[in-house]
Amino acid sequence: MEAAGSRVPLGAAKFVIAACARPAPVGAMHCIVLVKQVPDVSNIPEDAWDREKGTLRRGLLDSVLNPLDLHALTFAKRITAGDPDAKTVYLTMGPPQARDVLIDCLSRAGGEAVLLTDRAMGGADTVATAYSLALAIRRIETELFGGDRNYVIVSGMQSVDGDTAQVPPQLAEDLDIDQIAYAQDVHTEPELKFRRIGAAGTEDVVPKVFPVLVTVTACTDTLYAGFAAARTARSATIHTWSAADVGATADKVGIKGSRTTVYRIFSPSEDRAKQCVMVSDAADLMKQVQAKYRLATGGPAAHEEGAYHLDGKEPTYKGELWILAEREGDGIKSVSLELLGKTRELAAFLGEKVGVVLPCDVAGDLPAELIAHGADVVYAIEHPLLATFSPIPFKTAVAALVNERHPQVMLFGATPMGRELAPRIAYACDSGLTADCTKLEIGDHIKGGNALVGILKQTRPALGGNIMATIMTKDSPTQMATVRPGVFKIPPRDESRTGEIVRITPDLPTDLVEAEVTPVESFVSKVNIRDAKIIVSGGHGIRTRTDFDRLLQPLAESLGDLLGDGAKVAASRHAVEDGYRTHDYQVGQTGQTVAPKLYVAIGISGAVQHVSGMQMSDTVVAINKDPRARIFNYADFGIVGDLETVVPQLTRAAQEAK
Amino acid sequence: MDGIDILIVGAGPAGLGAAIRAKQVAKEAGREISVAVIDKAPAPGNHVLSGAAFEPAVLDDLLPGWRDVRHSFTDTMVPVEREDMMFLRSKSANRIPEKILPARMHHTGDVIISATRMTQFLAEQADKLGVEIYHGYTARTLVVEDGAVKGVRLAEVGLRADGSPKGNHIAAEEIRAAVTILADGVNGVVSRQFSSQFGDGANPQVLSLGMKAIVQFPEASPFGNNRVMHTLGYPMTPSTFGGGFLYSLGEKTVAVGLILGLDWKYGDLNPQREFETFRAHPYISRLLKGGITVATGAKTIPEGGIASIGALSAPGGMIVGDGAGFVNMEKIKGLHYAIRSGMGAAETAVAALGENGAVGPLDAYREKLEAAGVLKDMRHARNYRQVFAKGGLFVGTPLSLVSAAIPKQLGIHRDGAATKKGARLDRPDPGRMDGATFVALTGTIHREDEPSHITIKDPATCVSCEADFANSCTHFCPGQVYRWDGAKIVLSPSNCLHCMTCTVKCPALNIDWVPPEGGEGPHYKQL
Repeated sequence: MEAAGSRVPLGAAKFVIAACARPAPVGAMHCIVLVKQVPDVSNIPEDAWDREKGTLRRGLLDSVLNPLDLHALTFAKRITAGDPDAKTVYLTMGPPQARDVLIDCLSRAGGEAVLLTDRAMGGADTVATAYSLALAIRRIETELFGGDRNYVIVSGMQSVDGDTAQVPPQLAEDLDIDQIAYAQDVHTEPELKFRRIGAAGTEDVVPKVFPVLVTVTACTDTLYAGFAAARTARSATIHTWSAADVGATADKVGIKGSRTTVYRIFSPSEDRAKQCVMVSDAADLMKQVQAKYRLATGGPAAHEEGAYHLDGKEPTYKGELWILAEREGDGIKSVSLELLGKTRELAAFLGEKVGVVLPCDVAGDLPAELIAHGADVVYAIEHPLLATFSPIPFKTAVAALVNERHPQVMLFGATPMGRELAPRIAYACDSGLTADCTKLEIGDHIKGGNALVGILKQTRPALGGNIMATIMTKDSPTQMATVRPGVFKIPPRDESRTGEIVRITPDLPTDLVEAEVTPVESFVSKVNIRDAKIIVSGGHGIRTRTDFDRLLQPLAESLGDLLGDGAKVAASRHAVEDGYRTHDYQVGQTGQTVAPKLYVAIGISGAVQHVSGMQMSDTVVAINKDPRARIFNYADFGIVGDLETVVPQLTRAAQEAK
Repeated sequence: MDGIDILIVGAGPAGLGAAIRAKQVAKEAGREISVAVIDKAPAPGNHVLSGAAFEPAVLDDLLPGWRDVRHSFTDTMVPVEREDMMFLRSKSANRIPEKILPARMHHTGDVIISATRMTQFLAEQADKLGVEIYHGYTARTLVVEDGAVKGVRLAEVGLRADGSPKGNHIAAEEIRAAVTILADGVNGVVSRQFSSQFGDGANPQVLSLGMKAIVQFPEASPFGNNRVMHTLGYPMTPSTFGGGFLYSLGEKTVAVGLILGLDWKYGDLNPQREFETFRAHPYISRLLKGGITVATGAKTIPEGGIASIGALSAPGGMIVGDGAGFVNMEKIKGLHYAIRSGMGAAETAVAALGENGAVGPLDAYREKLEAAGVLKDMRHARNYRQVFAKGGLFVGTPLSLVSAAIPKQLGIHRDGAATKKGARLDRPDPGRMDGATFVALTGTIHREDEPSHITIKDPATCVSCEADFANSCTHFCPGQVYRWDGAKIVLSPSNCLHCMTCTVKCPALNIDWVPPEGGEGPHYKQL
């Protein structure tokens, strides 16, 4: 059964939520679960690849419910369980067939659903999507919850097609509500409490203001759809709303409302092709590896992007290029310095200055440190509320500065803080944001009749890492992007550099009601695979935990002995899922980016999610049973064979070569 | 929700044919009946695999105007305009003149289709008629009470590999219906329970394993369009029943396959290696030159014929399709019989549905099959497979031409008993696609942390199997599920292709196979 939306002219309907503190909630806690229909990138048929164009034929992929959304709905069920008055509404924005994922959700957990569908909404980026969903949520609150503001919006952290994790924080920004990211668990007695992964460790958060938005990790045993429940779901209520039904304005939805645009899609292997030498003899391989290792310069391989020259052309954007600096202990986080180095390079192409925004309580020596690493201007925003990270005060302070000074570029580290903060700042500054960039360049682009000059081209993986996309910002005052730690190099320190320090005291609301946060367990990563010069990494091709240990550890040790450097064992995501190692050891898009002098990939297929985390390694050796494994495209040396046979042979060869 | 009038287990051609027909017949009679179909596969067609050179007349009867519906099924269907039967030796190929082949084996009027795509098409049509189709539900047990079929029980879901329940555990659900039609395919678990309970065939069911690949070409394929080719001889030895095929699926797509009777005698015969050996034959590889394999699959075919078919109906239940055994070996065809049997069962079911869930007898099903000509064809082919089983290639082939005239029904041995102690094929590796890649291209996926759906009943039995039969499961499984670690069999059940070979081919009948929880297994899209 579907309840049709009422006919409201575009722009006339307004469902406004007043953002203000309220007393502790009584009565039922409802849930709105955000879900999305995405291509099934876990199972890509061979003929879906257009090898000529280097793209994926999305039409040949099955459509499924985004995997993290299964966790979101299971998580939401925990919040509402046991309360017959608690309502659950699944919300999705998509084409008419997105209805299927709503039925899927209803089959698993019951409730009601809203399909927000309108041709005008097609092609939306995260900004336009957040805007549209926020309007739908306002209507759900008014109509389906009767104005009751006791609800939690639950969302998976990201969707596998875009992989940006930007919609939930931008939605929170539009609704002017708080967000609790990286939630792993929830308790409802004696009060609603979420356990999440914070920047320094796990913490418990008791929200005091509702509604609140929660994004979840893959933290549950996801609910199945029982047969009886699936039959019942066929007659569940699905409301279908159009853009007009939620009061959306035409210029803020779909392509028109988007602030970024994808202008190129290509195959990841284009990005960094190596010529793999296939070897069959272990001793021979050891000799070649040793020789190459001695020649290696060490550290992350230099970027080979060419320089850009303005040549007197009029650039499309004017203004400084900024980064947001994150503090770590008494110093600056490495990723901020890495970004500073890259921004120096980009700014030089355009003849512009580099600015660093430093939100803090007391700046101390840090501005000088930043200037020594390349900043021309340091904007030290000082306020007691900025002592430790909290999205709303930080966003308010930084967005105000950006809106005042109009930098042309703003970069953030894709850290836990960056991933929560950057989307909110971008939304508050009406600017496009591209997440997890692996490459940043200045370039020109002709689009239609328009020539765009000296713009920031932002490249990142998408569709579960199966394709690479290059993105440009559009209709925005500032081009914003986040970049993962380890992609760029920390620039050398230069004491002689000079720069300006601008001190700013922001106007922050004093009545912000904070959630109650209790640290549970801090993690200083005892395992730091990022520092290792030699990494021996194991993947899904290894059958058991015992095999993983007995095959990899001796190889790592013998290579370390032979080459005279520290060696560590690491794991692909599959191997971590198999329980061979914990997440600290994970290399890849959802793990760590490493750039050792030698990376040995054992039983790793070479999916781009993994490769993007290790492709900056100097020398890569791949061992795999499958001669067509993609890893060989990223390897300098390869052996095709049974892991159980080859790896011990290599270990022996390394021992004998010493 | 109301109860279910007709429950159909299996959303393949037989099951969906039954579902569509049931809705049509009810509508003609001005009645509203609920028809629900369940299937263990994640999506329509994912577990359906066939050649296929298809006789389309059955669809003209079931869905008039179907040829005009735009769908990947109808778009990729091609009429047969040229056919060849080849006899291969290791380096040569000779055409067998058409005149020698009986009319039944000619493919005039056939169309070449993807059975997977046909299933997707049928699912869409069934959905339009109001059939409820539920994918991702595995039926494990037939529910019988007081001698009548009441429905099925599903697999329980949400267990860890050690059998302990996870937070999302759902106990085995029961689905009850007035009439249950079992369409769970070759060697289907519930169909076999039906046969055990209500009457097995006189002969055991015997199977062939088909290995198949879809090959795509950048330009027109050397094989050409609108063509079917069957081969005999190489790589099979005379004692191994089987043959190869190449079917055009358009200018740039060829379906290639090798079918092997599971009564082969060699303990070390690896059908995937045999398939690659076939593809490496100079004549075949020339026809496939420049092509890239984009999809693979493996599944068995029931070949025992009418003597292996037992009771067709019981109070409250009927069996249809490959699960019943309606494959005509003379034509090597089963798809249109599957659909016809589904239609017959549906008509019988609707007619038997009375007021208030009462169900009359379902014996009329047999008459429907008779009227549709299904049983007549099956009777004609009743000794076809048997003469090859008894005589091998050189005796079987000429005998097969007159097999219909043999006055008595020949018996047949079960497949697993045919493996001979010490018999080895020692096939060299042709060095082409390896087993792991073959498995990868089927798209098969299972949850890793779930109880194994495959069990070795008595591991001690496997020890003597090493010398006797080379641990034949480690060779015959196209999914590379079985590995011998020197002392015992180690399983990788997540590789399973649900082809149904292992329970039948193990010489000691030492393997137990149940379908895993729903939504797993291969992801065939165009096979």
